Amino acid sequence: MNDHRQTASKLLTANVKAGGCAAKISSAELHQILTNLPVTTSPNLLTGMENFEDAAVYKISEELAIIQTIDFFPPVVDDPFLYGMIAAANALSDVYAMGGTPILALNVLCFPTCDFPIDVVREIVRGGATQVQASGAILAGGHSIQSQEPIYGLSVTGTVHPSRVLTNSGAKADDRIVLCKPIGTGVALLGMKANLLSQSADTELLKSLTTLNNTALAIGSKYRLNAATDVTGFGLIGHIHEMAKGSHLSAELWSDHVPLLPEVLALAEQGFVPAGAYGNRKSYEQFSTYINDVDLAITDLLFDPQTSGGLLFAISSEESEQLVKELVTAGMQAACIGKFKVGGVGNVEVSNDERR
Amino acid sequence: MSADSKVNATERKIDLRGLICPEPVLRTKKLLDDATVEKVEALVDGEINVNNLDRLARSLKMQFASAPQDDNFVVTIERKNSDVKNHAHVQTSTLKDKTAPQEKVGNVVFLGKDKFGEGDSEFSTTLINLFLQTMFESGQRPRAILMANTGVRLMAPESTALKVLNDFKDAGCEVLVCGLCVEFYGLKGKIPVAQIINMFAICEYMFAADKVISP
Repeated sequence: MNDHRQTASKLLTANVKAGGCAAKISSAELHQILTNLPVTTSPNLLTGMENFEDAAVYKISEELAIIQTIDFFPPVVDDPFLYGMIAAANALSDVYAMGGTPILALNVLCFPTCDFPIDVVREIVRGGATQVQASGAILAGGHSIQSQEPIYGLSVTGTVHPSRVLTNSGAKADDRIVLCKPIGTGVALLGMKANLLSQSADTELLKSLTTLNNTALAIGSKYRLNAATDVTGFGLIGHIHEMAKGSHLSAELWSDHVPLLPEVLALAEQGFVPAGAYGNRKSYEQFSTYINDVDLAITDLLFDPQTSGGLLFAISSEESEQLVKELVTAGMQAACIGKFKVGGVGNVEVSNDERR
Repeated sequence: MSADSKVNATERKIDLRGLICPEPVLRTKKLLDDATVEKVEALVDGEINVNNLDRLARSLKMQFASAPQDDNFVVTIERKNSDVKNHAHVQTSTLKDKTAPQEKVGNVVFLGKDKFGEGDSEFSTTLINLFLQTMFESGQRPRAILMANTGVRLMAPESTALKVLNDFKDAGCEVLVCGLCVEFYGLKGKIPVAQIINMFAICEYMFAADKVISP
């Protein structure tokens, strides 16, 4: 790594209190903020705010709906190019989570240009542009302002056939839950900041953070997916809860099946747990039941806010095995991590029982 | 900013207020990584830090306690002394704490420059060598010789004082240099890493010393 990048970027996360999706306002606070808003609805709006969807979907015609989303956060890593890549992967993911194809992206940039060499900002935006290009969309502009804390992300527009929209509320009883990326980015990023991650764990983390969810969706789309979302700020339990609630079902989460990033379990055990994980625990623990003894560190990881997390699919049990196989063959650390069932709407039963 | 302080040889107090995660847990972990530290008392702001330190204590199988203090929390983490062996260990170390420091910490020599006093440069260098030589030959064995600022140059490979400093080291004195100074004066890689310490350690030596001698 060249010296310049190291020095310029060392500062990038220095004063950031909560990076990535850990910076997200908690679900409980969000509920308070969003109550009593004047709401206009339209039959063409295929998603509402009530289900905490990843993006808004609006039907233009019988053949075409547009997906609109925005996502941005403060630096999660010190390398500006990688930060840009991660923020963009995270923003683009919302379109994939709705089953769409991104077509247009705009930069959102808040930056203290006095505090950093201009190269740093350029690298962030270049990292984002690289991802937009890889997604097949066009980066067509953006908006930038001065701010004390750096913030970067994208507003993305995508398209989808109205009948192919994947919401987080279409899961059916006995559907399996398939996760396409390992979890633990919040904990791992703290470990990286503390300099406790090994080189190989560091590489794995960055690979996961910068991986677009386009391949996962392309593979998933070959199957009959009933629902989809991406795992981000609310953590795995939070997003499974939202999907269960939206689908009027409850969920079983098999914690021993959940793929973890390397070294995150040991880090969580030692108390490298981000504030966002505690926030998620506060918001979602009321909907979680522990069936048997699940380690505290494991539950911390299940509540850990994910940055650029994987897609989460609901799919029939018959098809789920083949789907997981194909995702794994494509190089993804995908796994079937639970199922939906009737009753106890929104409840998530966490168990680590091997004898299922 | 955080400040560490040493209550006695096996207890540490640390102020972690205002630090951004993961610093509070990381700094506490680093203190507890030192096997001689039996107890750490940390002052933290925010419940999240309390929770993270609770997890740290669990993972290390140590005792954890926390109590609110004004708007903050005082967290205490102690090595568990549940079995007989540990009890014995604690008793000896407590005993040592009470009797040892007065007799055994000894004197510390602090060299803040590579000269002895002010004056002709070359002459002042000769004097510092003479001082170290005389100290060694007269049988003075300070607990530690600490070097900072240009003092670290005395440990450079071409230094004429290096031999006598190594003699002190061989005789059981701790011969230590300030890491920041080593970097500043471009001596990184030229001084054994084992002899490089930080300002925290320098402070500890100075305040624990019977006398600090600084020519």
